[in-house]
Parts: sequence; structure tokens; C-alpha cells
Amino acid sequence: MSSGANGTGPATARPAGESVSLAVDGLVAGYGGVVALDGVTVTADPAGITAVLGANGAGKTTLLRAVSGMIRPRRGRILLADHDVAGRSPEQIVRAGIAHVPEGQGVIPELTVEENLRIGMMSWRRGRRADRVAALEEEYARFKPLADRRRKPASTLSGGERQMLVIARALLARPRVLLLDEPSLGLAPRVMAQVMDLVVRLSREHGLTIVLVEQNARGALAIADHGVVFNLGRVVASADASTLAADVALRHHYLGF
Amino acid sequence: MVEFLQFTLSGISFGMIYAAIALSLVLIWRGTRLLNFAQGGMAMLTTYIAIEVIYKTHSYWAGFVVALAAGLVLGAASELTVIRPTTGKPELNAVIVTIGLLILFEGLAGIFFGGTYRSFPAAFSITGLRVGGTPIGVSRFDVFVVAAVLLTTLILAVVFRYTTAGLRMRAAAFNATIARLSGIRVARVLTVGWALAGLLGALAGVLVTPSTFLYPNSMDAIFVLGFTAAVIGGLDSPAGAVVGGLLLGVALSYVGGYLGSNVTSLFALGILVAVLMVRPGGLFAGARLRRV
Repeated sequence: MSSGANGTGPATARPAGESVSLAVDGLVAGYGGVVALDGVTVTADPAGITAVLGANGAGKTTLLRAVSGMIRPRRGRILLADHDVAGRSPEQIVRAGIAHVPEGQGVIPELTVEENLRIGMMSWRRGRRADRVAALEEEYARFKPLADRRRKPASTLSGGERQMLVIARALLARPRVLLLDEPSLGLAPRVMAQVMDLVVRLSREHGLTIVLVEQNARGALAIADHGVVFNLGRVVASADASTLAADVALRHHYLGF
Repeated sequence: MVEFLQFTLSGISFGMIYAAIALSLVLIWRGTRLLNFAQGGMAMLTTYIAIEVIYKTHSYWAGFVVALAAGLVLGAASELTVIRPTTGKPELNAVIVTIGLLILFEGLAGIFFGGTYRSFPAAFSITGLRVGGTPIGVSRFDVFVVAAVLLTTLILAVVFRYTTAGLRMRAAAFNATIARLSGIRVARVLTVGWALAGLLGALAGVLVTPSTFLYPNSMDAIFVLGFTAAVIGGLDSPAGAVVGGLLLGVALSYVGGYLGSNVTSLFALGILVAVLMVRPGGLFAGARLRRV
């Protein structure tokens, strides 16, 4: 089940109905003696956008790191469709269909734009050269500014272009679930809106299941289907995005708007 | 004038050997931010292996090939057995482990091969070539040294630049987090880096030893010079390592030729200190100096 979409078929064929859910169940994880996630349960619906909100240190980034295998969960399950991937290595998890775009510094400035993108295809088990070229061209078509700069060092890109690059790289892994950590951080408001638009299109048009970690709670809830609020490593609220956005007390208390 | 040419050419030949050691240090430094103090010890061991194979088979090339293969294996085995367990520990741990490895290798060499000085054959004649009756300061073997290191460096450069395996290694070196999240097995890439470093060290060992002797500490001085070359070029830059090696080789050749060979080590040390004081990122560091 994990191999089908990961690099054999032509790049443009993303079969409909492939969307899967991601469910984290009773997850405990941390660093050394610190418990950053203390029994967290979150469900991201297929092809939906789930916003994960909360203050700094609430455990949002740790959630993504545990799901993508960068840290090993101490307890709990991570279900991709109905397949438990908890405790697997990052390379196994990306092959299973979960791509993680970490916060900031996701671009490797020493490499060219195209080299950065090719890294996204490192998880492909097979894949003929023509498939790889087609997959790259598909991203270049989606992100025109990258196409014009493909041979340039990634260090020459603007903030918005860098965010395009890291999302394009994640898409090249052919994921079914996309974990985005603060994609709007440090971007100008107009660029931020473009990134949010892109996130919406990826879920609506491509059926990607998206987990969106954001400090910008207002912006995230505006595009999300579902919202989860973290505080000190626990889930304190989980509801429809519109319900959360309408909850004045919760907003003041945890979301700062 | 003839003298100047002789010093330059023989400096280039030695410089290529320093470049090979420098390159091996850069390979490991880029992957793990670790200076491998055992690099010279590894080269010494593989050169002993070469000498034994040559003695048994009477074939220089059998020894040459076995030495390079042994370098690959020794590099990978060192990473897998003693360096890997230091992952996630304080950085100093790995540094001390490489010093321990050096002591271990030199001890093992003493036990198995004895402490006596042994001479090592050259692949080609070491008699100086002459142009129109004038010796030009280099032998056929020197030409082989330059060609062997240049070819190896070029192959590595092409592999790093133009192949997927090379991109995987560069990605892992520049940003291990991104590499892992993209499905690259970073640990395996590091093992390959150590193996390649072992190979370069082995190459340097068989190339330099005909000019010196082989004994358990025989690579210590070469290691220091290779390290100096790497620092001159900037520890992050493979191209810098080669240029640094050449600059150092030629400079030391002039110093040895005009001022006497007893001041060359002092001069090398002076260069090392001067570069570290004036341009700690190396002569080829761009604007992006790492500051801690």
C-alpha cells in the first residue's frame, strides 16, 4: 500500500480517491527528560486542512517531528489510513506518504534550485529518468518563478520563492499527507496570502491531507476545515475551524486574537 | 631560473599529496563537523598492507589496489564501529575517539609490522627527468603522483556534482534534517564519506612513502601538512583543499630549497597560525563566515 503512489506512475496521474486520513492517538513524545507531548489525540480528515494552533512551546512542532519520525514517540499510535507508522524511520515514513516541511531554513542555499527539488525525489524507490523530469516540470509549471531560476543557487530566491521551493520539494515525494510547519513565517502579507491559497488548492484540487501548524491562528483558521489547540503538550480544544474562530474566550486565552 | 622551476615542479608533486590528505579531512568535516585525527594512522596502516601485498605478490599494482580497497574498508569500519556510537553526544567525544583510533592504529602497526623503518617502492622511476640534459626536478613517479591525485579528485568532483549519489551526499552534508525528511539515509551517507576519506588517505600513503620511510608514526607529519592545506583552503571546500595543498607544497618547496629543509616544518606551522588568525574560514571563504 505504500509503494503504489511513490514513484512508478507518470507524474501527472494522481488518482482521485487516494486521500487518506492521519490519526494520532495518545501520542507521548519529548526530548530527554522533557515531555513535550503528553498524550495527544488528533485526527486529520482525508483531503482536509487541520490547523494545529497554540503558543510557543505548546508541542505543535514536536507533533510534526514525531509523525515524520524525526523523534521516536514514547507511546501512542500514528495511523496513516489504518496503518500504524509510529516508531518508523523518517525515510520509511516519507515513503509511506507523509511529507514534512519543517519551519524555516528548509532551503539548502548552497545547492541550485533544481538540486533542491531533486532532493524531493530521493525517496522514490524506482522511477525512470523521464518520470523524474516530468515530475520536475510539473512543479515548474505550478511554480513559475522556480522554473526561471532552476540553475541559480537557492540562496538567490526571495522569501516567498523559498517557501514555494520547500513545498514543491515536499510534493515531489508524492505524499498523501503534508505536514507544514509555519509556512507563513516571515513572509510579507501578500506572499503569505499566496501560500495560504496554495495550501487550499493542494487539499481541494489534489486531495492532499494537510496538517498546518501556525502561529498566525487567524489566517490558519480562515482556510482550515478543522482546528486543534495545544497548550503545554495537551489538546485543549478540537472543533470545526469556524467554531473555534467564533469562540471568543478560547481565542483570547490561547490564540491571541 | 632552472632552480626555481625545479622547486616549483617538485612542490606541485608534494602539494598533490597534501591535497589528497586535505581532501580526505574535508570529506569527513563536511559530513560530520569532525576533524579526523586518525586519518594519517589509517593511511599508515593501509601502506603497511600494501607493502606486505607487494612483498607477497611481487606486484606493485596489486599492493596499490589492495591499499585503496583497504582504505575504503578501514574508513567505513571506523565510522560504523566507533564513530557512530558518538552520534548525539557532545562533539568532543568524537574528536577524542579519533585520537584514540590513531593511537590504536599506531600500536597495532607496531605489534604486527614492527617499529623498524621500511622503504616503500615507487611505481615508476624516481630518477629526475631531464630536458635537454638539464634536470627539471621531477621524476616519472612525480608525474604519476600528480596524475593519480588529479584523476581521483576529478572523479570525486564529477560524482559529487553530477550524480544522484553525489547530490545525496551534498544534501546530507549541508542539511541533515532536510536530507532525512526527504528519505535520505544520512547515516549510510556518512559511512560512504568515511570510506572515501579512507581511500584518499590510502592513496596519499602509497604516494608519499617512497619519498620517506614507513614506520608506525610515519604519517604524522603528512597529516599535519594535509591539515594545514585543508585549513588554507577552508575546511568546507574540496576545491580549496586541492588549491591549499598545491600552495603549501610549492611554498614549502621554495622554503626548503632556498632556506634549507630544517625550517620547512616551522614555516608550515607559521602558515597554519597565520591563516587561522587572519582568515579562519580559509583563503577561499566567502562572505559567510561561520560565527558561533
